[in-house]
Parts: sequence; C-alpha cells; structure tokens
Amino acid sequence: MADLVFSPSEFVAVFNQTIEQAYPQVIIEGELSNFKVSRNRWVYFDIKDEYASVKFFGSVYQLPGPLEDGLLVQVIGYPKLHHQFGFSITFQSIQPVGEGSLKKAADLLFAKLSAEGLFAPERKRQLPQLPHRIGLITAATSAAAADFLKIIGERWAGLEILLADVLVQGQEAPAQIVSALEYFEQITPLADILVVTRGGGSTEDLAAFNDERVVRAIAGSRTPTLVAVGHEIDISLAEMAADVRASTPSNAAQLAVPDKKHILSQINYQKTAMHQAIKEIFDSNINNIAEQKRWVVKTIEDIITDRKSQLLALKKLMKVFDPKAVLRRGYAIITKGTKHVKSVKQLKQDDSITAELSDGTISAIVGKSNG
Amino acid sequence: MARKAINKSYSQLSDELTKIIEWFEGSEVDIDEALAKYEQAMRLIAEIEDYLKNADNKVRKLTEKFDK
Repeated sequence: MADLVFSPSEFVAVFNQTIEQAYPQVIIEGELSNFKVSRNRWVYFDIKDEYASVKFFGSVYQLPGPLEDGLLVQVIGYPKLHHQFGFSITFQSIQPVGEGSLKKAADLLFAKLSAEGLFAPERKRQLPQLPHRIGLITAATSAAAADFLKIIGERWAGLEILLADVLVQGQEAPAQIVSALEYFEQITPLADILVVTRGGGSTEDLAAFNDERVVRAIAGSRTPTLVAVGHEIDISLAEMAADVRASTPSNAAQLAVPDKKHILSQINYQKTAMHQAIKEIFDSNINNIAEQKRWVVKTIEDIITDRKSQLLALKKLMKVFDPKAVLRRGYAIITKGTKHVKSVKQLKQDDSITAELSDGTISAIVGKSNG
Repeated sequence: MARKAINKSYSQLSDELTKIIEWFEGSEVDIDEALAKYEQAMRLIAEIEDYLKNADNKVRKLTEKFDK
C-alpha cells in the first residue's frame, strides 16, 4: 500500500470513495464561524471548537434562515475532497441548536422578514366563514392531529379534510412542511384553508416553525393559512406569517369552523320566529276580513236607513198632493162628462156637471155663469 | 354518502333560508305566498338540521410522501 503512487486526480477519487464508504453522512455540532454567502447562492462557513475547525460548503436553499458567526449549530453533510479547493463538508442541513442560538437565529430571521413586510397586518386574509375542504399539515399520529380532528368533528359536519402527514420536528421537518404546502398549492380545487399545527415542545422541537423556508411558504400560500403551534411563550415566525394564528390545535379547529350547536340553536330560534310570523300574517288577515265584513254590513245598513228616510219624505210629500186632502179642506172637483172642469169657459147654462166632495158626489145643472 | 359537495349545499340551504326570513321581515306579505314560503322554510330547516346532525367529516390521509 505504501508503494502506491497516485496522481492527484486518482488520489481525490480514491479518497472520496473511501470516505464515502466510511462516513457517507456526518453530523457535526459546533460554533459557526466565517459564515459567508457568495452571489446569493453559495454558502461557506467553518464549524469550530476550541481545538479544531472544519470547512463547509453548500447552497442557500439549505439554510434555515439568516445565520451569523458565534451561533451554536448542528450540521448534516457529507465529507468531500474537492479536486481543486481541497477538503470540505457539503452540508445538507444546518440548524441552530440550544435555546440561545435558536432565539438569536429567530431574531435575525424576524428582522429580515419584517423588513420585507412579510408579517404586515395588511397581508392578512380572512379565513372563509365556512370552509369545505381543509388541508391539514401535521404529524398524522400526533396528539395535535387527534385534537384538531376531534374538535372539528364536534363543531361541524360534511367537511373534507386532506391530511398531509409530515415531520414537525427535526432537521427534515422544514423541507417536509414546505413540500406539503407546495402540494396544496397545486391541487384542484384548492383547499379552502390550510391548517399547519403541532403541539407544544422545547425551543428545539419547534425550530421548524422558525425556519425561513417554512415561514416564506406559509406567507406565500395562495390558500389562507391558519397556524397553531402549541406553545404560549414565544410565537413562532410561521404563526406570525400565517393569516390567522391559533394557540393550540384545538383552538385552530375552533377558529376554522363555526359551531354547529350555535347554528342549530339559531335555526331553532328562526323556526320559532317563522311560526310567529305566519301566525301574525293569518291573524292579521282574519282581522282584515272581519273588518271588511263589518264595513259591508254597516254600509248596507246605512243605505237602508237612508232609503227609509227618503221614502218617508216622499210619503209626506205625496200626502200634500193627495186630491182627497184638498176635498177635505172644502174644495170640489167638477167634471163634465169625463173631463175635469178647470175654467167656467168650458161650461154653458144648463150643462150637467158632477161635483166631487170629500164624502161623495152630487150632480148639478149649471145655472148662470159669470165667466 | 349520497350527498356530494355537502357543505356547499349547506351554504345554499342557509342562503335560501336567510332570503325567506328577510322576505318575512318585509312590510307587506301576501298570505298565499307567505304560506308557500313558510313551508319551504320548514323544509330547509329540516334539511339543515339533518345535515348538521348526521353528515360525517371525511378525513383523507394523503398518500404523497413529503420527504424530499
């Protein structure tokens, strides 16, 4: 073996083969230093401790957000000897570890995304009042999923829930959550809301919800988002980027759909109101009819009374014109033959005439006339 | 389930009911029309109650894998 002579290319190839077999993947935890981003694309940094420092290389797409020197991080990658640039570890993921580093990284990301206006209140959309399709992104077997589904079931009916089973903690969680969010971007029809949720945990457990890729995917979702991470102390950036934030998975269910108990009691009230309304309409119609009847009767009565008094007046008038009444006052009706005599000129001496008095008639002969 | 797009139909039922209630709140109502609308409202209410009490939520776990 000692006699083997390699060309540089051969050595690089053999070295890489050997290291790949022995350590296809390494996890290294230490302090971040010399962190550099080149042309917005390539990332270089070292991870060091008191005695050693290791070089890393990778792309910005693997970053969880802005990082800075001094943070304690855990990096997953594979070691590689580059044919020109020497030894480095190509990183697949890098995560701040420890509460202090996580908090610091979250602060950096918050500052960066705030400056972009990602958390601005005017970006927030209202959730639809009544979603039909809900996209649920969570760990399918988690208590968070069970709580959400239980409360949803108690509150509303007829929903279609599409459950995307993802890791919600660990280094793979951000990519899975982003992948699920991307999946829901391209389904037809779109879900009415997306719920991203998990229960509480340590700052490290919840790190995925402070990951830049996750936060951006939530902010950029076409579908309105509801994010609930079950911890109360710090609000994650994913929650801040969501259209609506809920405190727990159960609270997310409460905010996502109305309560059917409430709707049922409202319906019950409406039912009573309808009964009342129709009764009032009937009563009012019955009253109207009764009133109309009274009006008709009164009108007819008035007409009859009126006619009666008219008749009475006529009767009185007729009495005035009654010839018999005149006779009773001492007048007489003179007839000659069949004709009433109205003038002395109708008569001559010796004409036979009849005089009708009130109590009978007499026949007479005209003597002298002075007409 | 016989009821397809059940939630949408809930919205429709609810909208129709709201319209009838608004109609009743109007000033002059004709009794024949009121009777017809009342019966319609009672049907809608029964359907909504049935829906809220009996419809199931369908949970479909996606088969897609999200680990890239």
